[in-house]
Amino acid sequence: MTELLVKNACVIDPLNGILLETMDIPVRDGKIVSSVSSAADVIDARGCLTLPGGIDSHSHVCGTKVNFGRYMSPEDMRAGRTARRGKMHVTSGYYVPTTFGNSYRYSTMGYTTVLEGAMAPLEARHTHEEFTATPHQDMLANTLFDGNWAIMESVRERDFKKTAAIVAWTLAAVKGYSIKLTNPGGTEAWGWGDDLSSIHDPVPNFNVTPAEIIAAMIEANELLGLPHSVHLHCNNLGKPGNYRTTLETFDLVPDKNNARQTLYATHVQFHAYGGTTWRDINSKAEEITRSVNAKPQIVMDMGQIMFGRTMTMTADGPMEFNLYCLHHNKWSNHDVELETGSGIIPVLYSKKSLVNCVMWAIGLELALLTKDPYQCLLATDNPNGAPFVKYPEIIGLLMSRRYRDEEFATLHEGTGQRTAIASIDREMDWNEIAVMTRAGQAKALGMAAQGKGHLGEGAEADIAIYPIRCHAVDPATEYRKVVEGFQKTMFTIKRGRVVARDGEVIVEGANSTFWVNPSVPEDLSVRNDPEFVRKFREYYTVRMDNYPVQDVYLPRGKCIRTEGAL
Amino acid sequence: MRVILETKVRPKPFLPIEAESIIPRNFLKGTDLTVYEGNKERALSEIFWIFVEGTAVSPDKVEVVLKGDTARIKRVGEYMDTGIIRIAGDIGMHCGNFMSGGLIEIGGNADAWLGREMLNGRIFCRGNAGHYCASGYRGEKHGMKGGSVEVMGNAGDFCAEYLTGGTVHIHGSCGDMPGVEMKGGQLVIGGDATRPCGNMKAGTCMVFGTVHYMLPTFRKTGTQVLPDRKVTMDVYTGDVANRGKGTLMIASRAHFP
Repeated sequence: MTELLVKNACVIDPLNGILLETMDIPVRDGKIVSSVSSAADVIDARGCLTLPGGIDSHSHVCGTKVNFGRYMSPEDMRAGRTARRGKMHVTSGYYVPTTFGNSYRYSTMGYTTVLEGAMAPLEARHTHEEFTATPHQDMLANTLFDGNWAIMESVRERDFKKTAAIVAWTLAAVKGYSIKLTNPGGTEAWGWGDDLSSIHDPVPNFNVTPAEIIAAMIEANELLGLPHSVHLHCNNLGKPGNYRTTLETFDLVPDKNNARQTLYATHVQFHAYGGTTWRDINSKAEEITRSVNAKPQIVMDMGQIMFGRTMTMTADGPMEFNLYCLHHNKWSNHDVELETGSGIIPVLYSKKSLVNCVMWAIGLELALLTKDPYQCLLATDNPNGAPFVKYPEIIGLLMSRRYRDEEFATLHEGTGQRTAIASIDREMDWNEIAVMTRAGQAKALGMAAQGKGHLGEGAEADIAIYPIRCHAVDPATEYRKVVEGFQKTMFTIKRGRVVARDGEVIVEGANSTFWVNPSVPEDLSVRNDPEFVRKFREYYTVRMDNYPVQDVYLPRGKCIRTEGAL
Repeated sequence: MRVILETKVRPKPFLPIEAESIIPRNFLKGTDLTVYEGNKERALSEIFWIFVEGTAVSPDKVEVVLKGDTARIKRVGEYMDTGIIRIAGDIGMHCGNFMSGGLIEIGGNADAWLGREMLNGRIFCRGNAGHYCASGYRGEKHGMKGGSVEVMGNAGDFCAEYLTGGTVHIHGSCGDMPGVEMKGGQLVIGGDATRPCGNMKAGTCMVFGTVHYMLPTFRKTGTQVLPDRKVTMDVYTGDVANRGKGTLMIASRAHFP
C-alpha cells in the first residue's frame, strides 16, 4: 500500500464543481480516496494551481505515419536534443520527437493521457509498440474507418447492425479505443487518384456518400455504446470555402447520448475557411461557432496553428497532395490496403503569409466564440498545427486580450480584414482553461468513467501542480507568468506516483493503453458472417487469424467492455 | 598566435574524435578544452601534444595547426567564425560545419560533409573530398549559403547538394549528382560529373570535363565562349521538371574558335 497526501493544493476540478478551493488530496494505491494515514508521503503544493492530469484528445505521437515523419526529417533530429540523465532516455527532435521526447515533454507539462489521433488498423502493432515507449501517458488509439471497404459496403446496404459488428470486431482486434473518420470516403477516392468535393459525392466503386458514412458510423457508435463518440476529421480540409461542408456535416448529427456529445469534430480551424481561393480566404469561425453553440451534441477542438516549422501528417492523402503542390517540398504518400491512406509533408507557418495569419486567428476565434468550453477543446492537432509544447502559449493567448493584441500587431497587415480576432474581448478564466485541457476531454472521450480528468474520490490520481498562484496572478496582464507556469509543472503525479518534478522526469514510466471490446451477440458477429470472412480472405494480404494484435503488444492494456443495444 | 596540435599515439586509433571545440576563438583563453573520444570526454592534452607560439589579442590572429593522424577527427572548425586552421594531413567528417568566417586549409584529403551548411569563410583542400562536400545536412533544404570551398582533387557523390550561395570549385571530378537541388551560388567542376544538377532551381554549374548520364530534363539554349579558359560551353536551362530555372554549362565538343 502506498499513500500520498498533496497538501495546500489550490484545486480546480470542473467535473466536480470545485473552483480554486485550497484543499488536501489524499491518494492511496494510485486512486484518490477520502483520507490517508499519517504515514503517507506528503507533497506540499504551497497554494499552487492543482489540476487533474491533462488530457490531449487529439495528437499524433505514435504509429507508422509519425514514424515516417521522423524518417523524412533527419534535420529535425538536430533540434531538441537532450542527453541521458537519471531516468530519462536520450531524446531528440522538435516537431517529430522521439517517443520518449514526446512523453517527457507531455509529462513536464502535466499531461497524463493522450489520444493518438489516427491509427491505421492494419498497422496497429507499430502504434502499440510506440505506445509502450511513451511511458508517462495513458494512451488511447483512434481507429481509422474512413475508407474501410467492409464498412462502406454495409453502409450501402443500410445495415447499421452489420456496420456496428464490423466496428466491434475491428476495435477489439486492433485494440483501438474509438472510431476515427478522416475525410470519409475521400481517402478511398484518393486511392483512385480522386478526391470528393462535398459530403454528397459518391465514393468511386462503392456508391456511398460521406454523409451516409458519417450518419451510419454515428448510429453504429451508439449501438455499441462506445465510450467516445465518432471522431471526425471533416471532408475538404484546408480548402477555402470549406466551412459550408463543415456546417452541412454538423447538421447531420443527431443528439443521441446524454453522457457526452455525439460527434467530436477535430481540428476545426482547418475546416472554417471562407472565400474561394487562397487569395481571398477569410475566417468563417463565427458561422461555425454559431452552429456549435446551437448543437450541444457536437464538441470540437481548435486545431490551433502556431508560427514556426512543423510537420503535417494525416490520413487525408489527397489534402496532403494539394499541400505538396503548394510547397514543392518533401512529400510522403501511403496507402493502407482496404482501409485508409496517409500523407505527410513539412510546413513552415509564417507571419509573413496572410493565409497562415488567418489560420492562426481562426483557431483562437473558434475557442473564444464558443460559449461552452466543454464544446471547444484546446489542441493543435500536434504536430499539424504546432507541436504540443506550444499549448502554454495558446493558454496565454486565450486568457489575455493584451497578449493577443501584441501578437496581432506582428502579423500580416491584411489579417484584420479577413478575421474578427481583433474585436473579441473575451478572456478565459482558470476554470475554462481547466475545462479546455482536461475536463472537456474527459467528458468527450468518455474517460471520466475511467477516473480521468477529475479529482473526485475513486478517480485515478493523475494530478498536475503548476507553479502558479492563481489569486496573485492576473492572467490578462501577467500572461508571461501563465505561459511559463503551464510549461513546467512543480509536480506531475501519475497514478499516485510523482513522475516529473520542476521539468525533470524522475521515474521510468508505466503507462496503460485503454482499448474497447464491445459486446456483440454471437449471431451478429462478423466472425460468423461467411460473406465477411470470404472477402477478408480474398482481399487482404493478411489472414483474418493473424490480423488481431496479440496481447504481447500491450503489456499494460486495459480493456473496457461495453454493453450496447445490439 | 600559433597553436600546434600534434596527435599522440592512441591505444584505440580507430575511435573517432568529436572535436567541435577546435576553433581559433576557443584558444584565446588557453588550451583547456575537451573533446570526445567515442563516448568519453577527454582533455585536449590527452589526445594532442600542444605547442603554443606567441600570443594574440583577437581570434582572427589565432592559427591552429593540426598534425599527425588526424583522419578520424571530426567536426574541426564547426561554427568557426574567424582565424585560420591548417591541417597537415587528412581530416575527418564534418570539417568546417556552419563555418561563418576564417580559413581552413587541408593538406591531405577531407572526409564527408566538408563545409556543410557553411555561411562564409574559405575552405581549401589540396587532396580529395568525400561525399556531400559543401552540401546541406540530410533533410535540410538549404546547404551551403556563402563563402567558398575549393578542392584540388576529386569530390564524392552529392557535392554541393542544395547549394544556396557561395562558390564551390572542384578541380578534379565529382561523383554522382553534384549540384542536385541547387538553389543558388556557383559550382565549378574541372573534371567529369555524373547526372549533375537534378532538380536545380537557380544558380550556375559549369562542368569542364565530360558529363555522364546527362538528365533528360535540361533544355539546351545555346553556347557561350569562355575566352579566358579557351573553351566553348553548351548552355542548358535548369531542370525543367522543376520550373526550369538556373544554368548548367558543359564544355562543348565544338572547337574553341
